[in-house]
Amino acid sequence: MQVTALTMASLDLSSQEKYRAELTGLLKKSGTGLAVLPAYSALLLGVSTGAIPPAESFQKTFKDYIDRHLTWNDTYLELHEKIAREMDIYLAAGTVIEREKDLLYHTVYCFNPQGEPCLRQRQTHLTPFQLSIGLSRGEELPLFDLPPYKVGIIVDSDALHPETGRILGLQGADIVLHCGALSEGLNCWRQVAGMWSQVQQNQFWAVEAQLSGNLAGERFGAAPAVIGPCEITPGKSGYLQRGYPHTAEVTAELDEAARRELIRKYPLLKLLNWQAYSELYREES
Amino acid sequence: MALDGFIEKIYRRYMVWKCRPSRVAAHLDKSLPGERKVPLQDGRRKIRVAALQLKLKLLKSPLHFADEMHRQVRKAVDRQARLAVFPEYNSLPLLGMLPGFEKIEEGYRKKAAGSPNNGSKKGSEDENSLVDVFKYMSPAVQPLVDITFSRLAKAYGIYIMAGSYPLAYNGGLFNRSFLYGPGGQLIGSQDKVHLFIDEAKWDLKRGSSFSIYETAIGNLALPVCMDATYFETFRILEHKGAEIALLPIADMQEYNYWLALRGIWPRVQESLLYGVKGALVGTLAGLVFSGRAGIFAPLELTPQQDGVLAEVNTDSDEAITVAELDLDALQELRQNHPWRDTNQALYSRYFPALYRQD
Repeated sequence: MQVTALTMASLDLSSQEKYRAELTGLLKKSGTGLAVLPAYSALLLGVSTGAIPPAESFQKTFKDYIDRHLTWNDTYLELHEKIAREMDIYLAAGTVIEREKDLLYHTVYCFNPQGEPCLRQRQTHLTPFQLSIGLSRGEELPLFDLPPYKVGIIVDSDALHPETGRILGLQGADIVLHCGALSEGLNCWRQVAGMWSQVQQNQFWAVEAQLSGNLAGERFGAAPAVIGPCEITPGKSGYLQRGYPHTAEVTAELDEAARRELIRKYPLLKLLNWQAYSELYREES
Repeated sequence: MALDGFIEKIYRRYMVWKCRPSRVAAHLDKSLPGERKVPLQDGRRKIRVAALQLKLKLLKSPLHFADEMHRQVRKAVDRQARLAVFPEYNSLPLLGMLPGFEKIEEGYRKKAAGSPNNGSKKGSEDENSLVDVFKYMSPAVQPLVDITFSRLAKAYGIYIMAGSYPLAYNGGLFNRSFLYGPGGQLIGSQDKVHLFIDEAKWDLKRGSSFSIYETAIGNLALPVCMDATYFETFRILEHKGAEIALLPIADMQEYNYWLALRGIWPRVQESLLYGVKGALVGTLAGLVFSGRAGIFAPLELTPQQDGVLAEVNTDSDEAITVAELDLDALQELRQNHPWRDTNQALYSRYFPALYRQD
C-alpha cells in the first residue's frame, strides 16, 4: 500500500476551495491509499481562510479558537470527510480541538474512503502550554482495521512518550499515523527521538506528518517521513522516505511481507520482560 | 559440549587456582599507585566520566587480563575521569586461557570467512557449546573480575563499572554487570533483564528487576546492552531516581550508524538520564562485534543539541572518550521540561493486560 505524509507546505490555504483543489491534486499525484495531515491543521486552515482571526501570538490565537471558534471544526471535518470520499482513501485529517462535557481535547479524526470516521484519537500526554489552556488528556489508544493492517494514531507530543507506541504495538498495530508539529527552531534530533524511536522499538510502520509554516507568529518546521524498522529500509536508516520541512509530501510503498519476516526472525516485543515492569503503572482495582 | 570429564574438572581447578585473588592482587600491586590519583570535586555536581571501547584479543593468562584492565583504567584516570565504564561480555578474552581455544577459534573464523555474521547466528550446537564454556569458566572468572576491579578502583580512587560477564549462579547462566567504588568495595550488580534473541536461545537466565545505587557521584544504574532497546528499562530507572545509566554493550553485527542509534540514545531522550556506553569491538570465532563507546544526554544538555556529549571515532578499534556530566543541570531540566507529561489512567488501562499477553 502507498502511504503519504503531508506538511501543508506550499498548499494555497487562502480559501477552502483552493485548499481542497491543491490537496486533492497532490493526493491524486501521489497515488496514495492512506494520507496523514499534521497537527494544528484545523487552526492553520481556519486562520489562513479568515474563519479564525489571528491574534498577536500563537498562544492567544489558539485560546481564541477554543473560546470562540470551535464551530469551525464542523466545516473543517466535513471538508476532509469529502476529500477522503472523493479520493477514495483513508485520511487522518490533522488535529482539531474538540469539546466534550466541558472538557477540551486535542484530537485527530481519521476518515475512511466512504467518508466515515474510522478512528478518533485524542492526545494522551500534554505539554505545559496545552495544560495551561485547559486541554485534557485522552485515555484511550484504539486501533482501526484497514485490511490487512491494524492502524493506530499518535497525536502531537505523544510521539515523545514511548508508552503510546508500546500500547499500540502490543495491541498489534501494523501502521501508526502521526500528526505532529514541531517548532522550526528545533533540530532534527527531537524528531528522531519521537516517531523514529517508537518505530524501532515496536517494529511497526509510521507515517509521520509534520506541520510546516507560520501559524500566528509561531514557525513550525519538521520533515515528513515514512518510517520502518531499520533492517527493512534503505541504508538501514529506518526511513523509507524522508522529506525536508518545506517538502509538501512524501509517499512510500510499505513492504509488509518484509516487516512480518523481520518480526518472525527478530520478535522484539516477545522479548519484553513484563515481570520487571510493575513500577510502570498502577493496577486498576 | 561435554565439559564434565575428569580432565576438564582437573583443568578447571587449575584455572581457578591460576585466577586466585591472592595471586592477581599480588601481581597488580606491583604496578598500582600508592595513593588516589583522581581528586574529588566540590561544589556543583559535575562528574567526569570515561567510556571505554575495548578490542577483542585472546589472553592466555589471568594476569594478562588484570594488566589489560589496568591499562584501560589508567587511560581513564589520565583523563581525570572519576568513573570508567567497560563493555559487555568483557571476559571473552579469557577464552584464550582454554587449551587449544586459539585453534578452535581459527576453525570458526575460517568457517565464517567471507560471510561475516551480520547479525546472523552460528549453528545451535556451537551456541550451546559457548554456554557450556561460560559455565565451565565461571568459577575462575568471577574471583578474577572481582579482585581485578576492586584493586583498580581502590588504587585510583574511582568508580568502575566493570562491564558484564556471563556467570553461573544457582545452576543458571546470567549476564551480570558489576560496579566498584573508590574504596574497592563491590557496590552492586545487575543481571541483564532483556536478553538478545541469541541469548534467549542459549537459555541464559534473565534478571527480573532493576537496581540503582546511590553514590557520591550520583545515583547509578547498570542496565546491560539489550536492556536499552526497551524504554521500560530507563523509565523504571528514572522512577527509581537514577541519574546516570552505565551500559556495557557487545553488539554482534557490522557497524551501522542507525542500528547503533537504537539503544541508549533514544532512551536518555525519553527518560532524561545521562548514559555512558562501553563497547566491545573486534572479531572472535568469525563473529563481528562493533560499536562506538560514547556518553549521551538529553538533547538540551548537549552543546550541539544532538544528544551526544562524546563518542569515539572508530567502530572497530580500541578507544576512549570522556565528558563531564552536570547532575544539577539534569535535575533542573527534569523539573522544567518543555514537553514531558505522564498519564497513569492510560497506563493502568492498558499495560497490565497487554504486558501479560503472550
